[in-house]
Amino acid sequence: MSGVPSLSDLNLAATLPVSFLALYACLLMIVDLFVPRTRKHITAGLTMLGLGIALVLALLPLAGAARFGDGERAFGGMYIADSFSDGVNVIVLITALLGVMVAYNYLDRIQRQRGEYYSLLLFTTLGVMMMGAAGDLVVVFVALELLSIPLYILSGFRRPQEASEESALKYFILGAFASGFLVYGIALIYGATGVTDFEGIWAAVEEIVAEDASSKYLLLVGAGLLLVGLGFKVAAVPFHMWTPDVYQGAPTSVVAYMSVAAKVGGFAALVRVLGSGMVNFALDGGLVAAWQDTVWLIAALTMILGNFVAIVQSDLKRLLAYSSIAHAGYMLIGVAAAGSAPVADEAARAVIMYLMAYAFTNVGAFAVVIAVERDDASNTGLESMRGLAVKQPLLAASMAIFMFSLTGIPLTAGFIGKWFVFKAAIAADLIPVAVVGVLTSLISAFYYLRIVWYMYFESGESEAHVPVPLAWAISIAAVGTLLLGIFPYLLSDMTHKITLAFGP
Amino acid sequence: MELTAESIVFLIMSAITLGGGLLVVSARNLFHAGLYLMVSLLGVAGLFVLLSAPFLAGVQVVVYIGAIAILIILAIMLTPSVTQLPAIFNRQWAFNLALAAFFFVLLVSVVSPIMGELGVDAWNADFTQKNPADVPADSIVNLGKDLVDPDKYMLPFEVASVLLMAALIGAVLLVSPDKAKADEGGED
Amino acid sequence: MNLNEWIFIGLFFALGWALPATPIVLGKILAPKRPNQVKQQTYECGVEMVGSPWTQFRAQYYIFALVFLVFDVELVFLFPWALAYNQLGLFALFEMTVFIFLLVVALVYTWRKGALRWS
Repeated sequence: MSGVPSLSDLNLAATLPVSFLALYACLLMIVDLFVPRTRKHITAGLTMLGLGIALVLALLPLAGAARFGDGERAFGGMYIADSFSDGVNVIVLITALLGVMVAYNYLDRIQRQRGEYYSLLLFTTLGVMMMGAAGDLVVVFVALELLSIPLYILSGFRRPQEASEESALKYFILGAFASGFLVYGIALIYGATGVTDFEGIWAAVEEIVAEDASSKYLLLVGAGLLLVGLGFKVAAVPFHMWTPDVYQGAPTSVVAYMSVAAKVGGFAALVRVLGSGMVNFALDGGLVAAWQDTVWLIAALTMILGNFVAIVQSDLKRLLAYSSIAHAGYMLIGVAAAGSAPVADEAARAVIMYLMAYAFTNVGAFAVVIAVERDDASNTGLESMRGLAVKQPLLAASMAIFMFSLTGIPLTAGFIGKWFVFKAAIAADLIPVAVVGVLTSLISAFYYLRIVWYMYFESGESEAHVPVPLAWAISIAAVGTLLLGIFPYLLSDMTHKITLAFGP
Repeated sequence: MELTAESIVFLIMSAITLGGGLLVVSARNLFHAGLYLMVSLLGVAGLFVLLSAPFLAGVQVVVYIGAIAILIILAIMLTPSVTQLPAIFNRQWAFNLALAAFFFVLLVSVVSPIMGELGVDAWNADFTQKNPADVPADSIVNLGKDLVDPDKYMLPFEVASVLLMAALIGAVLLVSPDKAKADEGGED
Repeated sequence: MNLNEWIFIGLFFALGWALPATPIVLGKILAPKRPNQVKQQTYECGVEMVGSPWTQFRAQYYIFALVFLVFDVELVFLFPWALAYNQLGLFALFEMTVFIFLLVVALVYTWRKGALRWS
């Protein structure tokens, strides 16, 4: 190992989207220091350029048009560049692109147009991409911090405003607490298996199960703590308490991005760690992993609580916060399904499909909230939607699409996401939890469609300002939602190659 | 329980750690609580020495006591009322105590069967390694090698520097006075 | 774990505690106690005390502590690398250069933003 290893040893090319974006983010940060405060559209434009190039670099291997590097493993297996990580990359890069578009004019309006916003956004994006490609628990932890820390800062970006500062503080303290759980979990898993890389864990679990060694309890507690830590990040019940407060206080453009990005990162890591590293952790010698029961229980609780509490919300941001909790529940069904070894790959695909659908829909919905929000962060109540269809027919139509998609009505992306997740759940013999999912979707129709009702069938003094970038973002999100809903095979064909399993 | 030199040091260090921790949560003066935290962290450093991890002990002293505890004390000094806490027990203390106790029992019950497998008698621990050769001789050098080994921890190592950079941006952004605001005369 | 090499550090610690503690304790025992108002005052270089020492600090102290913390953590990474330097190749030097370069970028940022200026 002395001397200079060649680039092919490192397989640096396989990490191309991530390494490109990392370099780009650092350069952008320096460039931004020399961009005068009145001309931050340069920084925003450069950010979008970088994200766009990275998106192309991520789409090419996902679509099978090109494959960078030599094999899937880079940096000695620390980084796994497979279809799963490509899918995660594409989702988070699209989210980030939309996130920049919705943020630019919003930052002007709240008088916080700073270049750091864009650098920090790039850093969180990097964190999510690293989580999706992690091949080792150490990478998961570092990537999670890279994902979280800029998000804490972004939550408090609207600084002199107290609600924003409070939201950042709350998010930071609970997030740090969650990271503590995650590290503890990693430590116990290391204690039980003696390794931190997923392939090693897989092999060690195989041995533990075969010998019925007593370190299985340690591994179980480790997996549990890891689930707590990542459960915080994806806002799963009972670790969801921070979500409504943080989403309500943080700048809406940040919430639009982080409500998706944090989930993408968290679920990517959950699928990688549980579905790939510990899928064979079956205590009774069967094919069902020991952690599956816990995960589906959390999934059911999350769906029930999220949807029922969302009904009584009168603020759009809080309503969407509870809705995002509920959607974490649906995605957790996918994670639970990954606990049945034969279904693991299908479940991973379902989670990717759901995340893609959720990315378009949720960023779009928050973008509409940005459009109606006043500069002093008021007018985010449900009544702000009254009569929107008369004043802003296109905006209302887009919002209706997003609401249909969040409900899961056919021909929208949300339906496709739920379809794949429920299918995986049924294949994994988790029919009760799939039934809970369908029933809670019906309940969710009540509060999503109420918004549509307000927009179309009630009159009110709604106001909205839709500058060009925001209009583009909403249109892209709406078109993406419909496209994915009508032609799901566009994405599902690409995700067919996703395989997680190690070993035979 | 046989008292070897190691077990005596272990007991002293544990007492320092736990006693310090207890004083942190029971001190009425926030500033004193911050100082007790340093004592507790020092005890942890001592435990790291016992575990043949001198580097971690050094990190504990340099980073945790030298920087983080100082940071916490500075943060305490930033608050307007530093001297007195109105009540040391918050309303949830009973619940928190129960949670901590549950977690303790859980960890003990999970770790003790493994100790049996490793051949360590959990309740009469002698602190010598079963096979002293298992402890790598110069672990810091190995750590340095692994840290930059492309096949090992090079990726997290470089990502960590990006992470530190992001954290620094955030610190500057959140703490430094807002220039635009200061220009308008509205100092906070 | 062989503790012998740590005995000196333990001795150092004990001595470090004992040296300042002894005169204080001795003073408590031996010194005559005749307090009056002037004697009870806090001694601060002979200057008369103004107000309470429990005052609120300026937020600027905090930014220095934070910047210090970041570079302190950098030191943690640098130290084992430096110890192993003789056994590492050129590539390790390159890696550390990248690592430090990123932190220099952070420092340049902090500098440019004027966070290090005492205003």
